Amino acid sequence: MAGSALRRLIAEYKQLMSNPPEGILAGPSTEENFFEWEALIVGPEGTCFEGGVFPAKLSFPADYPLSPPKMQFTCEMFHPNIYTDGRVCISILHAPGDDPMGYESSSERWSPVQSVEKILLSVVSMLAEPNDESGANVDAAKMWREDRKQFEKIADKLVRKSLGIPA
Amino acid sequence: MGDQTAQSKQTENTVAEINQDELIMQQQRQIEKEIQDTTPLVGEKESLKALESEYTTDEIYLSKAKNLAQIYSFLRRTRPDGNCFFRAFTYAYLEKLLNNKEEYTKFRELARKSKDDLVELGFPQFTIEEFHDTLMEVIDKVGESGENGHAELHKLFNEQTYSDYIVVYLRLITSGQLQKEAEFYQNFIEGDRTVKEFCHQEVEPMYKESDHIHIIAMSTALNTGVRVRYMDRGAGTEVTAHDFPEGSIPSVHLLYRPGHYDILYP
Repeated sequence: MAGSALRRLIAEYKQLMSNPPEGILAGPSTEENFFEWEALIVGPEGTCFEGGVFPAKLSFPADYPLSPPKMQFTCEMFHPNIYTDGRVCISILHAPGDDPMGYESSSERWSPVQSVEKILLSVVSMLAEPNDESGANVDAAKMWREDRKQFEKIADKLVRKSLGIPA
Repeated sequence: MGDQTAQSKQTENTVAEINQDELIMQQQRQIEKEIQDTTPLVGEKESLKALESEYTTDEIYLSKAKNLAQIYSFLRRTRPDGNCFFRAFTYAYLEKLLNNKEEYTKFRELARKSKDDLVELGFPQFTIEEFHDTLMEVIDKVGESGENGHAELHKLFNEQTYSDYIVVYLRLITSGQLQKEAEFYQNFIEGDRTVKEFCHQEVEPMYKESDHIHIIAMSTALNTGVRVRYMDRGAGTEVTAHDFPEGSIPSVHLLYRPGHYDILYP
């Protein structure tokens, strides 16, 4: 099992290296272990996360790509679809069936033809357009809905922090 | 102060909600694990009499099981994991091809070419390669095993990776067919979804159950026929038959009981 997962991860890494999508950098943390990746995501232009560079890690299961990886930001984040510990909660990262509330029936699901690139692009869209219906961080979802100004202020602080600029 | 209480209450609710979600998922995994431990991916051939004994206290199903036993002799069960249609079909079809060299060669050629069709439809090559290679490997191994073809087929289909990779590839072929004939299949899709969205949500992900539309698209893509016998609580004492695509000559017979497919043999 792990053999095919490894082959696939190597192929995806090569693909990302030769054809890198804008604003995304990703690859294995070390040469020894292709099942743990690090990624850098640039906050999309025209959004309150613009210009930030946010680090995250991806952990792949032994049966990848039958099952999706898990993704977690390793910097401080405040966003409706990111848990306070950094775990990302979007539909493409859910195995089919892992949707007890049924609120994601109409969105993109994980399948073996998805890829790391697709996940990271979805995360960029998620930064640009939070989904306040699936609240991984209910406080952030509430603030996004009811006090956008305050949300943008916090986002701006996180952007500066990610760049090492004092607030 | 009042605000703070409200906020901490909300946080509590969130925690409760998450726990509820995770509990449901945990329970689901537990059930899946029990099924995994007790049911092989593809079982041995059994007499249809075994089915009758399952329904001794259920008159409707018992009469249908008796009816089924008049038409067919054997049953082969598959694991009920949402992939059963694709797994059952491919197993039964390859089994049939073992006795038909000409059709085997045709199918091998069709399978070989199918990857280029999928790439043309926009599937990234690096995501489909392994699945296609696995299907070709299984087709070849089974075909080259001569008298041991059946045993080889049974062995490979009960190895999780081989078995699941074949299911993935059959799902992709099905998705490709739906997208190729999107205009036609759009009429059968409920809700406000395009064919592409339907494929992303209901066809390509593993463990998603198959409906008529999956069966029609797959059998059309493979240029073969499937007869499904429906056994449910509906009126009558007979198991109704549906042929996919309509009017085709079935090369595989499947038994459908709500939510699940098994293989039937004359």
